[in-house]
Amino acid sequence: MAKFVALLASGVAYGAILMLVSLGFVVLFKATGIVNFAQGDLVTLGAFVAFWAGSSLGLPILATYVVAIVGLFFCGVIIERIAYVPLRKRPPIVVVIATLAVSVMIEGLIELWQGSSPKNLPSPVGTAVWHVAGADIAMQRVVIVIVTAVVVTAVLVIFKTTSIGRQVRALASDGETAQLYGVRTRAVSVGAFGVSASLAALAGVLVAPLSAIDVTFGFALMVNSFSAVVLGGFVSLEGTAAAALSIGIIQQVVGGYFLPSYSDTLPLIVMFVVIAVRPQGLFGLRSSRL
Amino acid sequence: MTVPPAAHARRSGRTRSALVGNRLGTGPPVYREHRYLTWVVLFAVIAVAAPNLVTGQADQLSLNVWLAYGIAGVGFYWVFGLAGRFAFCQTFMMAMGGYMSAWITLRLGPNWFLVGVLGAMAVTGAIAAVIGLILSRAQDFYFAIGTLAVSEVGTVILTHTTSFSGADGSTVGIAAPEIFGYAFNSYLQMFWLSLAVLAVVVLFAILLERSPVRRHAIAGRENATVARSGGVPVVKVQVMLFAFGSMLGGVSGALLGSINSTVDVNSFGTSLAIGIFLMLFIGGIGSVWGPIVGAAFYVAIPQVLSSLAQYQNIVYGALLLAVIIAFPEGLVGALRILAARLTHRRPPVEPGATLVERLSSVLPTGKRKENDATAG
Repeated sequence: MAKFVALLASGVAYGAILMLVSLGFVVLFKATGIVNFAQGDLVTLGAFVAFWAGSSLGLPILATYVVAIVGLFFCGVIIERIAYVPLRKRPPIVVVIATLAVSVMIEGLIELWQGSSPKNLPSPVGTAVWHVAGADIAMQRVVIVIVTAVVVTAVLVIFKTTSIGRQVRALASDGETAQLYGVRTRAVSVGAFGVSASLAALAGVLVAPLSAIDVTFGFALMVNSFSAVVLGGFVSLEGTAAAALSIGIIQQVVGGYFLPSYSDTLPLIVMFVVIAVRPQGLFGLRSSRL
Repeated sequence: MTVPPAAHARRSGRTRSALVGNRLGTGPPVYREHRYLTWVVLFAVIAVAAPNLVTGQADQLSLNVWLAYGIAGVGFYWVFGLAGRFAFCQTFMMAMGGYMSAWITLRLGPNWFLVGVLGAMAVTGAIAAVIGLILSRAQDFYFAIGTLAVSEVGTVILTHTTSFSGADGSTVGIAAPEIFGYAFNSYLQMFWLSLAVLAVVVLFAILLERSPVRRHAIAGRENATVARSGGVPVVKVQVMLFAFGSMLGGVSGALLGSINSTVDVNSFGTSLAIGIFLMLFIGGIGSVWGPIVGAAFYVAIPQVLSSLAQYQNIVYGALLLAVIIAFPEGLVGALRILAARLTHRRPPVEPGATLVERLSSVLPTGKRKENDATAG
């Protein structure tokens, strides 16, 4: 029982992190039709910016989080400028490769800036643990779940009720008509890149205290959140959130009990099966045009 | 697909109907001339110049690595350039081929190298065929992510199967290959072997370029629905090219294993995956030349910019970005346009030139493709 509770807790926390990363994907995809393969490196960069703000600037922990999230917003804007704007007229697949290029550049920059040795980001709740049913759950995981719940709810509310949310949804369902009705595609795409990068930074600073951070630590997270995004069909925010949570739990609980050395591959296997059976994702719609 | 009347006029590319038909890429069998002679000259130049000019051990190694990467690049050209399948598993195929060949030669002896290469081709081709069939309905991103999953899961499995791939996915001590009793011991001998393999690959690639497969692949890539209604077996062609391309990945991995005498799962990671894209895009995704020229650049950059070793990733990334933005058709395409300007001719519109240019010429505004993506 204790083992189950511990695995479930880490599954929910991991799912929450995946939720943040994959919401970043979905927000960006809805606004621009692009999948940003640098998202994982933005997660890493967010954690490193927070580490730098703490160790070099001596800021308190929460201030380092603000620095990381705001800083990454601007990184997102820069990526939009260099990898998306010049390629607006090109097929999305070309932009995807451009984001791959950005991803290599970010990895190179981090290595140059912080070296390749792993770093440890402190947790705002220290090493506190929560005893439940005989299991020790790190308070950091509780923090992750609470923060994610608040942020994800906020994103969903913004999408459903505000003008910006309506504009993004309009762009997602029919870009040309949305433009005809005065949606400013360019402003929305800048904002979407920024918000998406900020979500990645938030995920980075939240997950980093659970393990050491190095240059590649965001990549595995990104690959696993692809699974969530694919299950959500790239368009449904709620579907993606639910998928992220289930994938986190499947990976930790099923992997923890049955396949400890292969647990990292479970989300990918789930995703592969979903793509094979429903190539448009579980919640996705299929449409083709000539 | 009907036969446009002016098929013979197409080669000159002057009449309007010929141009349009050519751009659509679904015309009748146009077996454009192929410059076998250019290729023969190129290989002759490499064969004469390379062993004489390249002397240092490190440079000779790079030369062999270039030839091996070129083979993998031609394979990726079939998968991504021709069939338009955004596959993320070419480096995994290279690793798989390397392990398979090493496994065979370490057990049976170095004179079984050819069998090792055949084994590498068989296993990578079979994996690719199965995956291609399973993911046959998946489009751009989904196919990319699905093959990324294959690559990641495969890498984890290779790291754990110590009896096949060595401890922690590292097979060491691969002996120099032997073919019919002749051992390829030195870098120079490996160079001849790699060059010969690349020549065979290029010959096969030219034959493929001349065959209807190329036209079918392009039709399926540009618009699968239309191609299918025109009788093109889209899935069959795409799966076939994916399998062939992955086989070349396997061959390349087998050669790399012999060149480096080790196969390590870490050397086939994300950075090489990006490198493969870089090779194809620097060279140009429109022809067989592209990946070979691109591979030369990819291997040469660290040699030329050795003082910038710490910036290597940044340079690769920035270069890839710059090439995508500034030279959509890569160096080969840029040279072609330049040559056409110098001779005051219309630049040849290759059926497979770029996805971009062709789409914008076929579609009224170039906007509809974006809608496809958001809807898909």
